[in-house]
Amino acid sequence: MTKLGVAVIGAGFISKIHLEAWKRIEEIEVKAIVDLEEERARNYSQLFKIPSFYTDYIKVLERSDIDIIDVCTPTYTHAQISVDAMSYSKNVLLEKPISIRLEEADEIIKASEKYDVKFMVAHCLRFWPEYKVAKNIVERGDIGDPRVARAYRLSPYPDWSWQSWLKDFSKSGGVFVDMSIHDVDFLRWTIGDVEEVYARGGVLKTKDASSYDYVHALLKFKNGAIAYVEGSWIQPKNFPFTTYLEIVGTNGILKVDNQTTSSVTVFKENVAPISLNPVGEDAYFLEIKHFVDSIIKDYKPMISGIEARKSLEVVLAGVKSILENKPVKLPLTEEVINK
Amino acid sequence: MRKMRFGIISFAHIHAWGYANVLKELENAELVAIYDDDRQRLLKAAERFGVKNVYDDYEKLLSRDDIDAVIITSENAKHVDQAISAAEHGKHMIVEKPIAVRLDDADKMVNVAKKHDVKFQTAFVMRYHDATLTVKKMLEEGNIGDILVITTTNHGKYPDLWFAEPELSGGGSMIDHTVHTADLMRWYTKDEVAEVYAIIGEKIRKELKAEDTGLISLKFRNGVVGSIDCSWSRHDTWPIWGDVWLGIIGTEGYIVIDAFRPNVELVVKGKPLVWQYFGSNADKNMILDFIRVVDEDLEPRASGWDGRQALEITLAAYKSANSGMVIKLPL
Repeated sequence: MTKLGVAVIGAGFISKIHLEAWKRIEEIEVKAIVDLEEERARNYSQLFKIPSFYTDYIKVLERSDIDIIDVCTPTYTHAQISVDAMSYSKNVLLEKPISIRLEEADEIIKASEKYDVKFMVAHCLRFWPEYKVAKNIVERGDIGDPRVARAYRLSPYPDWSWQSWLKDFSKSGGVFVDMSIHDVDFLRWTIGDVEEVYARGGVLKTKDASSYDYVHALLKFKNGAIAYVEGSWIQPKNFPFTTYLEIVGTNGILKVDNQTTSSVTVFKENVAPISLNPVGEDAYFLEIKHFVDSIIKDYKPMISGIEARKSLEVVLAGVKSILENKPVKLPLTEEVINK
Repeated sequence: MRKMRFGIISFAHIHAWGYANVLKELENAELVAIYDDDRQRLLKAAERFGVKNVYDDYEKLLSRDDIDAVIITSENAKHVDQAISAAEHGKHMIVEKPIAVRLDDADKMVNVAKKHDVKFQTAFVMRYHDATLTVKKMLEEGNIGDILVITTTNHGKYPDLWFAEPELSGGGSMIDHTVHTADLMRWYTKDEVAEVYAIIGEKIRKELKAEDTGLISLKFRNGVVGSIDCSWSRHDTWPIWGDVWLGIIGTEGYIVIDAFRPNVELVVKGKPLVWQYFGSNADKNMILDFIRVVDEDLEPRASGWDGRQALEITLAAYKSANSGMVIKLPL
């Protein structure tokens, strides 16, 4: 069988992680890497032994031996690149968030239907070991009906974003849109649709940022459950990336904290401890494999554009709530982050 | 050494039993008399703590000249009359949290204590826990710079008894569990809350008459952001009663307090895992400090006013949850 051809667009933080997973998938071959900066594209092509590199992604779309485009670019470029790729009949795996604008999310969804391609948004938490177990526990009914949840992720300010696009409100939307969307998507997937959002936060510490570096939100779900979601990019440097999930139901409690459930911890002189939880088939591998299989076996990938748009809508409601200092009901009727 | 002579007004609140234990243990305190409006409970406490002077009328207990101070641990709604009477009889007092269920009641209590020049301490035991006290010192020293955010939880099991009978308790988990960390936030920021937003969800235990979940977002006048999870979201087989957890983000660091985390894990065959606590004895610290405050004529670390301010935050949270609006303080 001929292997499916993959091109990765964007040679940054997440594409490196994706490439490590792509390389372990037998049914595909990564044939091209694209980045606006030639040096970055060349660097990754050498690092991951990718035969060709480009600075113009259209050149890749024109290649008939490329079947899958993995869009790993900054959020504000997602819509254009995805829609272009789909118009060349490429299957698209798109990094989260789908966009920072609902209108653009709709354009992407429409294009995926019009050109009849496989499309998935990479909400990796749905493939993450402890979150999969948590989802199963809830599905099995072990904790009864979910009533109150608590989810947070805390980290120092991410310093890896290209031209610091994460710091730009109009490009990333800030910590809640970019990072808390993981927890929001997971909670929506596990508990159900969100009805109303109240959020508080702002640019509390990062002097040169226009996008929020701290947000917490109170969510009301349609089924009467409530949740606390917190995202922080203002932890001290060396602070270990920390994630926490707790769901309490009518019949039980589930709780998991990545700081107390690591299978490997490394301590070195003068460096903060590093905790790892290696599992053979990690979340990124499973996520990408799932998408590849959706093409080979022709099924609908699990995280549709519509699903991703719903999660986007919740985090945007959070941003709107901060801007207006009042609770925001869903659905949203207008754009929150303007161009 | 002169012993401070105490009376306990009601054993309705579970904390009363812990305070009585401390009084029995301390060398400079004596439990002289107890009152309860529940005859069985009164006799049970009298026997447990070896108290001879038992009353079913608290006025009679308060009329005794040989009592210096009382601990009021009745149902929340009953505090106000008992506290006013205690102050009028010149007794210093520790009042269980929340100090009242209405703000005007709390004001009356604060005023009457002032008028009769008695010490009025709120039983905010968390200000007397060695973990929170250590962090207070660190914050004062600027250990993590300026405070930006304080995220808190005070989870618990459902305490049963009258705690979800609104006419006695004033509400459910929100009135029971908001005040502790609200008070710690006020203590740490040295500031007052400017606005509150809160939500209450469908009940975990559908048979309860009051809420057992609640989430609160708040902001202090100086801009510090805070949150409280006040849910009774621990089922009965959870290894410990609950938690008091704070994550404090500063401009130069981050401090986590998990005050009841020091535990030995214990499993007895055929029973669920239990966490056996070995941390700070906040009850004891609180009562010792109260005795010192009375003896040396000082202001309590957690005063009646502090109790009133924390109650106001709680009532604002209810108002927000009921109206769906952001509530500005003061009410």
